[in-house]
Amino acid sequence: MDFLDRRMWSQFDWYLLALAFLIPICGLVVLYSAGYDPDASDFLLKWLPGEIKSIPFEKQLFFLGVGVLVVAAALSIPTAWLQRLAYPVYGLCFILLIAVLIPKIGIVSNGSRRWIPLGIFNLQPAEFMKTALILTLARYLSRNLPRPGGYGFRQMLVPSLLFALPMYLVARQPDLGSALSLGAIGFSMLLFVGIRVRALVIMALTLVLAAYPAWHHLHPYQQRRVLVLFDPDADPKGSGYHITQSKIAVGSGQILGKGFLNGTQTQLEFLPEHTTDFIFSVLAEEWGFIGCVSVIFLYALFLVRILRVVARSKDVFTALVAFGVCAWFFFHTFINIGMVVGLLPVVGIPLPLFSYGGSALLSCLFGVGLVLGVAMRRLSYARG
Amino acid sequence: MSERGQFNLQQRVNIALGIAALCLSLIILRLWYLQVLRGDFFREKSENNRLNTVYVPAPRGLIYDRNGKELVTNRPSVNIELVEEDAPNPKQTISTLASILGLDPATLTENPAYLRKRRRFEPRLLLKDVSRDTLAKVAARRYQLPGVIINVEPTRNYAYGPFAAHVLGYIREITRTQLDSPQFAGYRIGDLVGQFGIESRWESLLQGKHGEQRVIVNALGTRIGEFSYEPEVAGSEVTLTLDYELQRVAEEGLKDKRGAVVALDPQSGEILAMASSPAFDPNIFATEISSDRWRDLVFGPDKKLNNRVVQGGYPPGSVFKIMMAVAGLAEGVVTPNERINCPGFLHFGNRNYRCHKQSGHGSVDLKEALAQSCDVYFYTVGQRLGIDRIHEFASRFGLGRPTRLDLVEENPGLIPSTEWKRRYFKNPEDKKWYPGETLSVAIGQGAVVTTPLQIARALAALVNGGRLLRPYLVKSVAATEGEFRDDRFGPEEQGRLDVEKRILDTVREGLVAVVNDPRGTGHRAQIAERKDIVVAGKTGTAQVVSLNLSGSHEHLNDHAWFAGYAPADDPKIVVVALVENGGHGGSAAAPVVSRVMAQYFGVKPAEGESQQSVTSVED
Repeated sequence: MDFLDRRMWSQFDWYLLALAFLIPICGLVVLYSAGYDPDASDFLLKWLPGEIKSIPFEKQLFFLGVGVLVVAAALSIPTAWLQRLAYPVYGLCFILLIAVLIPKIGIVSNGSRRWIPLGIFNLQPAEFMKTALILTLARYLSRNLPRPGGYGFRQMLVPSLLFALPMYLVARQPDLGSALSLGAIGFSMLLFVGIRVRALVIMALTLVLAAYPAWHHLHPYQQRRVLVLFDPDADPKGSGYHITQSKIAVGSGQILGKGFLNGTQTQLEFLPEHTTDFIFSVLAEEWGFIGCVSVIFLYALFLVRILRVVARSKDVFTALVAFGVCAWFFFHTFINIGMVVGLLPVVGIPLPLFSYGGSALLSCLFGVGLVLGVAMRRLSYARG
Repeated sequence: MSERGQFNLQQRVNIALGIAALCLSLIILRLWYLQVLRGDFFREKSENNRLNTVYVPAPRGLIYDRNGKELVTNRPSVNIELVEEDAPNPKQTISTLASILGLDPATLTENPAYLRKRRRFEPRLLLKDVSRDTLAKVAARRYQLPGVIINVEPTRNYAYGPFAAHVLGYIREITRTQLDSPQFAGYRIGDLVGQFGIESRWESLLQGKHGEQRVIVNALGTRIGEFSYEPEVAGSEVTLTLDYELQRVAEEGLKDKRGAVVALDPQSGEILAMASSPAFDPNIFATEISSDRWRDLVFGPDKKLNNRVVQGGYPPGSVFKIMMAVAGLAEGVVTPNERINCPGFLHFGNRNYRCHKQSGHGSVDLKEALAQSCDVYFYTVGQRLGIDRIHEFASRFGLGRPTRLDLVEENPGLIPSTEWKRRYFKNPEDKKWYPGETLSVAIGQGAVVTTPLQIARALAALVNGGRLLRPYLVKSVAATEGEFRDDRFGPEEQGRLDVEKRILDTVREGLVAVVNDPRGTGHRAQIAERKDIVVAGKTGTAQVVSLNLSGSHEHLNDHAWFAGYAPADDPKIVVVALVENGGHGGSAAAPVVSRVMAQYFGVKPAEGESQQSVTSVED
C-alpha cells in the first residue's frame, strides 16, 4: 500500500467521488418509488423512525453502504498491483464464466443462466468480467503499443480474443446485453489506442456483410426486439409491450413529471422491470423532462470528470484503465436510456449506478474506485 | 512516462468527449420529443392504461297499474360467469362445472352471451339467472372451479307472469340494427332494451341513464380503486291506466280461448283493461331464449305475440249495426218508428240475402231490429244509404282509421267504399261496386275489418256525446329528474260524430234492449249481482271468411263479439270482447263483458258467476 504518500491525497478527485455517490442517491430516490409497495414493512432498517415501504430501496441502500468499502478497496490498490493482478483476475473470471454455464453451478432466472448462488447473494461473473477485461486489455495494450498509424489486424488478434472469448461465453448464458458491453468496452479501448484506417474500413465492410447471417443467429425474441423498435405498435401486447409501455411512461411524465410515487405506469405495474432495466422510465414518469435532463447532466459531468482523469494520467496503462471504465459507463448509460426512450432495441443492460442490483452497483463502484486510484497516483512514480 | 511521447491523451479524450456529447444530446432530443412535444398524447395513453370505464346499469323504471300496484319490477338475478384469465385451464373448469350440475358442457359454451367478444379479465357468461339450488352446488364446489365467479345482476321481473303481457311487452338485448339506428344513440352492445309493448314504446324514459364508473386498474386488470363516478339515473316510473283487478278478470274471461278484451273509460279514453289471448310470459326473455321457442312465439299458429286488441282485424258482424242505425237515422233514410218486415230473407238481384233467423223477425222497428239483430232490417237501411254513406259514418266512428294507441303497429282496419274498390283492385271488373256487396257491409261482413279497440273507441263515442277519443295506456310518468310532461297523457279528441243527441239516444235505447229486452240477444251481458246497473251493448257474430284448408273445423266457427257499456244512462265503462271462433256473440263474448263489468262495479268474483239460462235466440 502506498497511502502514506501525502502527494497522493492532494490529487484525490473528491469531485468524482461526490458524483459517484450523488448518482446512486438519485437512483435510490427513484428506486424507492419503483419498488414502492404500500403493504411492505421495514426489511433492514427497522430501527429507523417511520416506515420504509420499498424493499429494493433498502437492499440497494445496503449495497451502497458496502459500496463505500468497495471504492476504498479499489482506490487503495497500487498501480503495480493492478498490473500484476490483471491476468490472474481475468483468468479467474474466465473460469467463473465457464462455470456459470454448468447447470449444477449456475442458476437460471428469466430463461438465462447468469448467476452463481453464494448464499447471501448471487454472483454475476459477467459483471466482474468487465473490470477484469479493462485491466487485462490496459495491461496488454500498454505493453503492445502500435506503430504510428495504429493497430493492424495481426496486432489486434490477441486483444480481440481477450474480449471476444468472454463475449461468447456471456452470450451463451444468454446475456446479450453484457456481451455487447464487453465488446463495446474492448473495441473502444483498441480504438482509443489507435486502429489503422484501412483496418477500420475493412472491419466496417465485414460488419455490414456479416449482419445478415448474424441476424439469423439471433434468438427470435431478440429479432423481435429489434423489429419492434421500428414498429412497436405491430405487437403492443407481445414483444412491443416493453417499449410501448416505457414510451408511455416517459412521455406521460411531460415536463414536470407526475410526482414522487405518482407514476401510474410504475405503480400499477404497466411498466415491466421498472426497478432494473427500466428504472429510467420511472424517473422520466415521475420527475419529467426536468428530472431526466438533470440526471443526464450528472452522468455527463461524471463522464467528463473520468475523461479528465484519463487525460491527466501518468502512463498509458492507467489512462487505459480509466478510459475503459469511462467507456463502460458511457455505453451502459447510452444503451440503457436509448432503449428506454425507444431509440435502441431492448437489451438487458442496467443503468449504471442507478438500476437495482447489488452486483452491478458494486462492480460500478469498484470501477469508480479504480479511476479514483488512477487519479490520486498520477504524480507518484511507480515503485517496484 | 516513457510512452507518453507518442501518445496524445488529450486529443483522444477530446474525441471521446465529442462522441459522448453527441450521443447524450441525441437522448435529450428524444426526451424532448416524447415528453414535451408529445407529452399530452402519452399522458392520455397512460390515463387510458390505468382507467377502466365500467358502466353501471341504471335501475329500469317500474311500471304500475292505475292504483299504484307494481306490475313490472327489477329483481337481482344470479349469474355464473367465468374469468378465463383466472382459470389455469378454462376447458377443464367448464367441464367440471358441467358435471357438477349434470349438464352437457356444450350447453354452457354455446350460448350467445358466452361467445361474445370480450376484453381481458372480462367475465364470460356461462349460466344466467340460476336457481338457488344451482347456486348452492356451485358455491359448495368453488375450490374446484378456478375462474368461476358468481355475479348478481338486476333482472326485469314481470310480477304476474303473462299478466298484461301484450301491454307491458318485454326487454331483450339490443339488436345490431337497433345499435345502428340514431334512436338508440349512446346504447352499447349487451344493453337490454324494450322490444315490445310499453317497454319498447317508453324505452327512453324507462331506461334511465347508466352510470359511468372510472376505476383504476393495474397491469393485471385488478381494480385498485375508484377514480370517478358519474352516478346512474334511475329510469322513470310509468303508471298505466290499466286496473289490475279488471285486467285479471278480462284475462280470465279469455282463458283457453283466442281473443281480445278491452275496457275503456268512455269519458276519457283511458284503457282500463287490455287483454289478448293466448299470451306469453315476458320473463322468459330474461334468460337466453331458444330460437325454437322464439319462432313459436312469433310465427306459431296462435301468434302469441299478436296483440289482438289492436293487431287483430275482424269483421265486426252485427256490432256494425250500431253505426248503421246512427247513419240511417242521421241521413233520414229511416225513422225510429218505421217498421220493416223481415220474412227471414231479403230478395235482391237474383238471390236471397238471409236473415240469421230463418223464420224471420216479422215487422220490426229500429229498437227491435237492434235488440234482435235483424239482418233484413239493416239490409234495407244499407240499401237506402248506399256504400259511400255507410263508409262516411263508419269513418266518423273511427272505423277503418288507426286509434293511434301508439303501442304496437296497429291494424288500421278497413271500411270499403266505391273509391276504395277503385283504388285497391287492378282488374276493371273488380273495380266496380256491386250493390249486393252493400248488403254484406250493412251487417258488418264482406270486406269490413275492425279491431276490438276501434269498436271500443266507436262505442265510447256513441255514449260520451259524440266525441271520438284516442284510447291511451299511460296515466302518468314520474320522472326521476325534473318534471316530465307529455300532452299524450290526457284525453285527446280525434273527431266528432256530428250527430244529433236525439239520434244517439234512440240508438242507445236499442242497445239497452239488446241486453234487457226479453227478446234481446245479449242477456248474458247483464250483471246478475247488480240488477240496479243497467248494461247496454250489441252482440256480433262474424263469419270467418278466410278459408283455412289446413285448419280444423273449429277454425271456421264464427267470431263472437260483444261491445257493451254500463251504466246505460251514465256510462262509466265500455267493454268490448272478441272470442275468435267462439260462435255466438251473445253466448261466448257477452259473459266475458259481464264479468269485467261486474268487477268494475265492485262485485266480488268469488261470489260466483251465476250461469244465466240461455233462452233468447242468438243472432
